[in-house]
Amino acid sequence: MKEVYIVSAEQISIQQPLVDDWMSTPVSYGTSYIRSLDPSFKDFITPIEGRRMGKILKRAMATSITALKHAGIEKPDAIITGTGLGCIENTEKFLGSMCNDGENLLAPTSFMQSTHNTISSLIAIHTHNNGYNATYSHRGISFESALYDAWTQMQLDKITSALVGSHDEVTPTVYSLAEKIGVNGKICGEASVSMVLSTSDRCRQSAMCRLAGIKIMYRPSHQQISDALKKVLSDAGKRMTDIDAVVLGVNGNADNDIHYHNNRDIFENIPLIQYKHLFGDCFSASALGVYVAATCINKEVIPEHLFINNRDKKYIRPKSIIIFNQSDGKNYSIILLESLCGE
Amino acid sequence: MMGKPIYITGTGIVSAIGNDKQHTLQSLLRSESGIAPIRYLNTEHNEFPVGEVKLSNSEMRAILGIDEQKPLTRTSLLGAIAIKQAIKEALLDDRQLNSAGLISGTTVGGMDTTELYYHDIISDNSKNSYINIHDCGATTELSADMVGRFAFVTTLSTACSSAANAIIAAADMIRSGEADIVIAGGAECLTKYHLNGFNTLMILDKEPCRPFDANRAGLNLGEGAAYVVLESAESVNRRSITPLAILKGYANACDAYHQTASSACGDGAYLAMKNALSDGETRVSDIDYINAHGTGTPNNDESETAAMKRLFGDNMPEVSSTKSSTGHTTSASGAIETVICVLAINNNFTPVNVNWKNRMENGIIPVQDIKPIKPIKNVLCNSFAFGGNDSSLLISKYN
Repeated sequence: MKEVYIVSAEQISIQQPLVDDWMSTPVSYGTSYIRSLDPSFKDFITPIEGRRMGKILKRAMATSITALKHAGIEKPDAIITGTGLGCIENTEKFLGSMCNDGENLLAPTSFMQSTHNTISSLIAIHTHNNGYNATYSHRGISFESALYDAWTQMQLDKITSALVGSHDEVTPTVYSLAEKIGVNGKICGEASVSMVLSTSDRCRQSAMCRLAGIKIMYRPSHQQISDALKKVLSDAGKRMTDIDAVVLGVNGNADNDIHYHNNRDIFENIPLIQYKHLFGDCFSASALGVYVAATCINKEVIPEHLFINNRDKKYIRPKSIIIFNQSDGKNYSIILLESLCGE
Repeated sequence: MMGKPIYITGTGIVSAIGNDKQHTLQSLLRSESGIAPIRYLNTEHNEFPVGEVKLSNSEMRAILGIDEQKPLTRTSLLGAIAIKQAIKEALLDDRQLNSAGLISGTTVGGMDTTELYYHDIISDNSKNSYINIHDCGATTELSADMVGRFAFVTTLSTACSSAANAIIAAADMIRSGEADIVIAGGAECLTKYHLNGFNTLMILDKEPCRPFDANRAGLNLGEGAAYVVLESAESVNRRSITPLAILKGYANACDAYHQTASSACGDGAYLAMKNALSDGETRVSDIDYINAHGTGTPNNDESETAAMKRLFGDNMPEVSSTKSSTGHTTSASGAIETVICVLAINNNFTPVNVNWKNRMENGIIPVQDIKPIKPIKNVLCNSFAFGGNDSSLLISKYN
């Protein structure tokens, strides 16, 4: 198996942007709908570029440019993006004008930047990158689909580096529609995450961690999830007892959390950690889960406020973390991250 | 480095020129176009001819045996019909399906029901069941669940090259040994949303479209779905099934030029075709036919012609765009045209570029005669998109 490194990872979310302040001083909120804390975008794009971009595009540019800079890679071999709803702000604008004002007064601007692949292609245009470029849009596993594509191509030696991201904006309309079908207990947040992956030895030194396995499943049984976990571990030469923590996508909503509780026994007595209580939930949230795990491994600490159970709150230096995610009880993913220290 | 060949063992197709493979073949052999005045889509823009699938949603539900009340989108119905056909042709049983993946391309997803119920969705609770089926992934899941149980399901969304990229992602999964069988393709229904979007970009033709014609004036939108069953050599041997064709090579490149326009020299298109050939270790002179992206817009056809000329020079194979028959089926087009290429290979014909009359300046003369100049063994199938998401598939004859 080819070694794949996560060299850098950057986020813009409801926590402080482009930094890991959430580890020591997380921002806490008392409401259930929060927009991202945006950085100053003029550091990343010119005002002329920015004028035509919606929030999701500006955030994607900022996280991508920062992740590439920190990785020291100008032109990755591939740019692969996940997004559950795509450029929904522009979609709403065009759809709203069409449905409210009819079909004869429409302007092209919002349509042009409403397709899901706008994000990936704008990054390519901005960085003059003619390499592989793709966009996945599959609900809560959009990010994993993008990550899996990069992983697969790296295993095939087709690419040695990739910018992999996932981006979702939650507009007031998206939130009001989510409310109609039930947000009970969860925080709706936004997520823009970009990571640089590489297989090169040069990047190994400075990498945050190793991506040691990834598996995506559709409507799996409890047994199939358990088998998939065993397969991911054995392919990486690991055992369950090697795992220091499991990141779960619990969000406080009973309809969501039940799918984690139903599969809890698979992870035996491994400490469980969460991140959606800090970052909120949206289709791209699982990218934040991977970002959180990668950051914990890189910083050699899991902040106490991430542990789900009090009994687990003790200092550990995490070397292996599993990220277990599911979306609507249909799509499941298992991702294994490994420390590069002390090997 | 040559990648492992992937076998195509099943195909499913529904478009303006036929609701299955046999009818599609008949239409192609007769050089018939499915472009006609709008019949099913509810829009003020009746001036634009389109390539509609000649089935209402109720008729598709009846074909699939799905209750009228279940909230579904037109794209998901088109998708389910084509996936079922592909699985049937590949003779996959439930057990094999349970370990197979499904990768589908779509961009409009559930926009047809969102725009239809827009005011209800915003103002009351009567259409809440349509909120969660708006997105692309939901559309794929609806199709998947109408067909059977898959091990893995995901959705590619790169606008007009979505289906081609779904096929590429599926092929990589098989090459890497992650899966033996993956069903890949795409589905897209017509919506007011993208008809109006393309209209604001002024790239829709009020006449039947004429790809590669000097007087071309834009594209006609179409709709449909197509899927191929992709399989590893080991799986083909194990199942003792005769492949329909080989996916010998493929590539994805980015034009990185403009959000909705292609570069004049067709950088992305050139790279996609060139890399697909090298991936399949096939020479330029071995290509017998190119199913071009050929939308009929001034910009695409000029850029694609430039890219083909750069790559093929004096070895230009026969070229046609079948979008003058099917309309531009956007996210589904890469798979619809892949199935058309498989039909062309197995029935040894070149699909005609209908409506073509006048050569573009420095242009090509697209296929006018169904009879091929030489036997059709290796074909390139091009799919390009907004954002310069350009992909090309190299499809070859089996034995």
